[in-house]
Amino acid sequence: MPSRVDPLETMPVSRYAGAVRWSLRLWFGALMVFLYLPIMFMVVFSFDESRTPGLPITGFTLHWYDVLLDNRVLLGAVGNSITVAVVVAILATAIGTMAAFVLVRGGIRYPNATRIAFTLPIMVPGVLIGVSLLIYFARAADLPLSLGTVIAGQLVVTVPFVVLIVASRLQGVDRALEWAAADLGASPRQAIRHIVLPLIAPAILAGALISVTLSIDEFVITWFTVGAQSTLPTYIYTRIKFGVTPEVNAVATIMLVATLLTFGIASLILGRARRLPGRRRGPVRA
Amino acid sequence: MATEIVGGAAVAPPTSVSGGRAARLRQLAPFLPAGLILVGLFFVPLALMLVFSFWSTDENLDVVPVWSLENYANFFDNPTYVRTLAKTMIMGAGVTLACLVGAFAVAYFLARYVSRRWARLALLVIIVPFWTSYLLRVYSWQAILGEHGALNEVLMALGLISEPSRLFVYNDVGTFIVLVYVYVPFAALVLYASLDRFDFTQLTAAQDLGARPIQAFRHILLPQIRPGIITACIFVFIPILGEFLTPSMVGGAQGLLIANLLANFFKNALIPEGAAVGFMIAAFVILLLVVFRRYLRVEDVVARA
Repeated sequence: MPSRVDPLETMPVSRYAGAVRWSLRLWFGALMVFLYLPIMFMVVFSFDESRTPGLPITGFTLHWYDVLLDNRVLLGAVGNSITVAVVVAILATAIGTMAAFVLVRGGIRYPNATRIAFTLPIMVPGVLIGVSLLIYFARAADLPLSLGTVIAGQLVVTVPFVVLIVASRLQGVDRALEWAAADLGASPRQAIRHIVLPLIAPAILAGALISVTLSIDEFVITWFTVGAQSTLPTYIYTRIKFGVTPEVNAVATIMLVATLLTFGIASLILGRARRLPGRRRGPVRA
Repeated sequence: MATEIVGGAAVAPPTSVSGGRAARLRQLAPFLPAGLILVGLFFVPLALMLVFSFWSTDENLDVVPVWSLENYANFFDNPTYVRTLAKTMIMGAGVTLACLVGAFAVAYFLARYVSRRWARLALLVIIVPFWTSYLLRVYSWQAILGEHGALNEVLMALGLISEPSRLFVYNDVGTFIVLVYVYVPFAALVLYASLDRFDFTQLTAAQDLGARPIQAFRHILLPQIRPGIITACIFVFIPILGEFLTPSMVGGAQGLLIANLLANFFKNALIPEGAAVGFMIAAFVILLLVVFRRYLRVEDVVARA
């Protein structure tokens, strides 16, 4: 890749070049507004006194946050969501990381086909996974729908994410490092524990974070596989369908802040451990 | 995986102990849980859906295992269903086109005029909304597009309309706007990945040799980023085939798409009928993935997101 300030670039190619550049810049700005407008409204309305969200803003209040803290059902749904997310993240990370090792290090007869098979649950729309699991649990396996079936359903999408992310990082780890460790007397287990795991830790962390985020926000699969209980998204969905509820904006704002914090912390941790040693062809993205 | 030569000395891999079946099983054991989830909770349920789609329901809503193609025939005999399917395809194509055009301009700008460091940051900012609650982002569009929404207030303040318009939400327009909103970040991410690999001096060279800017764009740039464009299309179009949340929240009674039909069948316990719709969507999705598999870089997108 040549440097971006090429002398040729400064040569006026077209008399419209400047105009094109400016309109692209404007377009970029417009897209940002488009992307952040709904989020901004969500935050603003959560502090608005009016019961029906809309302009003009009538006044500032923390009332909806107060309402939210008194809402037992909502807090229960939040609790369910957190439980599911923690279990899903732990299971998906462990299961996915183990599978990634076998996938990259050999042992699977058709590694490429397997990899493609793992991309399918990510690509196939969630609604199909949801309804097919509903048929499976309710009609074939005769399992009562519960948070357990929700966890099973969410693993279908989160495990492939972890497998693909960890496998892509593991592929970049130079095996010579392990051979060196073995040469120096480390057992294969020790080499994995002290050499490989620290190197792929950022990918494992990224996989775990993606699992948590996907799980907390997962609606479609959960909608079809949940029984009498509700998670935060299914609760919010039924409330929205029911009528206008300003405390939903308050929940959303809290979730937004939580997500941003998680990502901020994660990118700090990941940023530190981005590069892989022992490779000459540059860093491998985690 | 490449074995690298370090410092001129070839490092030989230690010969692995390859034993019989037991050793192979031990080697495969860590893969089993993931394999079981993939097969047992993804492929088997999908196959089961196919089986159910050939069965039928009796008056008591019990599933009767009698094999027939009736569910499929009934689907295509019902003009409402066929219209919904056609509308889903048109909506999908329209949203894909809009996302592609909108995201291309941004990706081009970032790849060509912005330093890589800032471009990466901009992409991060573009993708952050994706990690916030999908449901709530769609919900807040109701407050923007609704009758007393921000858009109407602004348009009235500008004097462009005299009374609130109901044209923006609870119809296909609302679904279209929100779907573009949801998927444009994906398209931007994928297109940037491909434009980032493109050497823009080629455009200058082409123009130097007499090509008009449009010609250079068509014959030099487009062919090189075609895989990215196809990936972007797939990443936007396929999820729309399964969209049922957005249409149900901002699409109103008329704006339902094929996945809403599917969800309604299941809500009314018409499982074989729903399974037939579900299987048709699944088959179409898998067909698209198979046809375009050469271009797809799912891992690229997964790893970047």
